[in-house]
Amino acid sequence: MTLTGEGNYFEDFFSGQTIRHARGKTMCENDNVGITLQVLNTAEAHFNEDPARNTFGKRLQFGGVTIAMIIGMSTQDTAENAIRELSMDKIRLKTSVFHGDTLYAFSEVLETNAYDDISGIVKFRHWGVNQKNQVVFEGERRVLIKKKNQQS
Amino acid sequence: MSDENDFQSRAVLAEKGHKFEDFTPGQAFEHHWGRTITDGDNTWFSTQTLSFNPLYFNEVYARAAGHPKMVVNPLLVFNATFGMSVEDLSEGGGLFLGVDECEFLADVHVGDTLIARSTVIEKRLSKSNKTSGIVTWLTAGYNQHDDKVIEFKRTNFVRFRDPDVARSQS
Repeated sequence: MTLTGEGNYFEDFFSGQTIRHARGKTMCENDNVGITLQVLNTAEAHFNEDPARNTFGKRLQFGGVTIAMIIGMSTQDTAENAIRELSMDKIRLKTSVFHGDTLYAFSEVLETNAYDDISGIVKFRHWGVNQKNQVVFEGERRVLIKKKNQQS
Repeated sequence: MSDENDFQSRAVLAEKGHKFEDFTPGQAFEHHWGRTITDGDNTWFSTQTLSFNPLYFNEVYARAAGHPKMVVNPLLVFNATFGMSVEDLSEGGGLFLGVDECEFLADVHVGDTLIARSTVIEKRLSKSNKTSGIVTWLTAGYNQHDDKVIEFKRTNFVRFRDPDVARSQS
């Protein structure tokens, strides 16, 4: 099958490679309220903006949504040809995110290690920034990625 | 208050969540509800977050890669496990600070049912925050066969019930 792109197989990644991912996304109700409640997160600050109940007076984006969104925005370039996600580490949420903020994702390859005949492990550092260029997210992630010319 | 609002003066708050004082290192929680991850959950979550690996939304592609069904996006496994832990751990208020040592231990497929369990690892005071302390938990997600599919350490600010008492006892 040729449903996935070129340029993101294991051999394509090299230590120090730094990527600015092409698409940004403005955070909206579908993202924050949708995913927060989809995953049974009951913390009211994410879905009740009544100032009497919410010290921000607006809905604070659930950090799990921010993590998924930044990793997601990096996925076509870092894991379109992945076999599986292995781990995440040192995840830090550095600036609060609210509806209407626009997020952008960046990635750096920290190391690459051959794993077996068909795949290798790439360790990335990711950053998420908002429209004011404040870092909202930082973290590391390891992904098992196909080598070129392997079946599925 | 008018008579038609009389119910409000009788109502007793059905309180939710825990405060800093409620946590003790080693304390274990079996979290509520469980969550079966459906095709719709997985496809919607993956496309909504621009998570463009077809294992998560193309069943033919997932089967060709050796999976029985579409693979559940690991970030959805993470979020669902995290989400089910919130009422017990962090609904009492306080910012989510970070996650360390998150391991995706086994593939999850659509139709699998997740549950979550946590243990308190550590609690400490913050130098700067006078209304909350810092708590770290180890949270794990399990499938319907009780196989552990994810594990991670999460750290939050957690609000004090009584700042004076909490700071003197910790």
